[in-house]
Amino acid sequence: MSTPPALRRVAIWLAAALLTASACQRAPYVPTAHFVPVTSRPVGKTQAEDPAVAALIAPYHDKVTSQMAEVLGNAPAGLVKGPGENPLSNFVADLQRVRASQALGQPIPLGVMTNGGLRAGFAPGAVTLGSVFELMPFENELVVLDAPGPVVQQLFDYAAHIKMAVSGATYTVTFDGLPKDIRIGGVPFDVNDNRTWPIAISDYLATGGDNMGFFKGLTPRHTNILLRTAIADYIRDLTKAGKPVTAQVEGRVKAN
Amino acid sequence: MKRRDFLRHSFLGTAGLTVLGGLARTAEAAPAAKVLPKLTILHTNDMHSRIEPFPDGGQWGGLGGMARRAALIKDIRAQEPNVLLLDSGDIFQGTPYFNFFGGELEYKLMSQMGYDASTLGNHDFDNGLEGLQRQLPNATFPFLIANYDFSKTPLAGRFAPYKVFEKQGIRVGVFGLGIELSGLVADKNFGQTVYLDPVAKAKEMVAQLRGPERCDLVICLSHLGYKYENAKLDDRKLAAQVSGIDLILGGHTHTFMDAPEPITSPDGHATLINQVGWSGINLGRLDYEFSTKNKRAGLASAAVVPVRAAC
Repeated sequence: MSTPPALRRVAIWLAAALLTASACQRAPYVPTAHFVPVTSRPVGKTQAEDPAVAALIAPYHDKVTSQMAEVLGNAPAGLVKGPGENPLSNFVADLQRVRASQALGQPIPLGVMTNGGLRAGFAPGAVTLGSVFELMPFENELVVLDAPGPVVQQLFDYAAHIKMAVSGATYTVTFDGLPKDIRIGGVPFDVNDNRTWPIAISDYLATGGDNMGFFKGLTPRHTNILLRTAIADYIRDLTKAGKPVTAQVEGRVKAN
Repeated sequence: MKRRDFLRHSFLGTAGLTVLGGLARTAEAAPAAKVLPKLTILHTNDMHSRIEPFPDGGQWGGLGGMARRAALIKDIRAQEPNVLLLDSGDIFQGTPYFNFFGGELEYKLMSQMGYDASTLGNHDFDNGLEGLQRQLPNATFPFLIANYDFSKTPLAGRFAPYKVFEKQGIRVGVFGLGIELSGLVADKNFGQTVYLDPVAKAKEMVAQLRGPERCDLVICLSHLGYKYENAKLDDRKLAAQVSGIDLILGGHTHTFMDAPEPITSPDGHATLINQVGWSGINLGRLDYEFSTKNKRAGLASAAVVPVRAAC
């Protein structure tokens, strides 16, 4: 037998009644922490599974697996990533503009996706939902930035440095790595134009990711669409229209 | 010390001793009464929909997995009389399970594991207030949050600021604190949820839990983050500004801590902070023993004592 519970309850009640005068006074029991040698226990391979929990997971697992195998479209040739202008970044940056235009009901002249923002290209053949998850595992949202001339100029300065393409624009990189002859929608860009240029971009880049600190002062307009969802939907639309998944390097960035 | 405080403390000190004297006599009468109540706290943070272990290869390859965690928890429950299983938020987002099922499986599994409480992380708003509301029926445990005001949202009245758990006569007060949502979560997803000052709310919670609720142990489930170099509030700053919290179980920053960190609170007592990474890679464990010493000094000298024989 331990301390008679009734007696202890009375004792605690008495103590508590006396203590209520001060909110900060410690309660009757005083805790002392003891730690096992490693307070964080790794959950590793040697740990067996709980069969009941594993059974609860199983049907969900099967659904995820089968949905990941869903074929969204077909790529006759692989879409690869790489430094400079590349088919994969062109594909994604272009569809960002298309989807953002639909979501916000206005033309979006520019789209930006960095090479590092996409994790894996599409292999030739069937493009599955799983392929899209591998391409874009991040929970990035498609947003639109309204950039004034000087910020657009900084974007192209950044792009020229790594010969990155910008969807909706063409430009030439000078010998010293600066952009010149920037054209947006075919129209020469004038940094002093008193207007803004909407840019379809991921929220990650819009908030300064990949060293795009020049975007930080701008307030993104939300589409509340995950970039991954936009990519998957776009491929589904292509397929519905009888079109393959393709993208080219088409000279958006010209070297001098 | 002000004279009035001095008088009050003297009075309480005497009263406490009287009560304890009575208890001590009772203990002598019953020889087996020396068994002190024990409490085992198990905790996770930022599980991010990691239902299955990370795939092999990569930094965390083969680690985590909720079926394994469930078995581990079950083993500990079989050995320990009083277990509290707690989580510090960001249950949602990170694997296709969330994209496909919106958090349904996460809540069902946590319910099956017997989680006692969680708080809300920023990613738990990723499907908006409606997305969160849709999944709540799948959770048999409460979400505790003291510094979000949901009164102007469809979730009004759905969350308590704190809960008191009673284990073998020990009263454990658990409250939750969330991070500022604006800037982290799309405006549309948190709607009219109002963020309230965590420091002020924490002080309120401590007054309530140490006062009318007569708690022996006060735990804060925090999704504020462990440490920021700038002025942003974090668990360390919270601990340094608010007295009366014994333990902050943190999250958000995905910090792997080798051991709980003690931070001296304004009244000189140590508040411990612990966080165990993310994705269920680890299960945190802290064991508390309780004595009936009614002296505040008792806690100040509470040491971090490794129990080598355990586990």
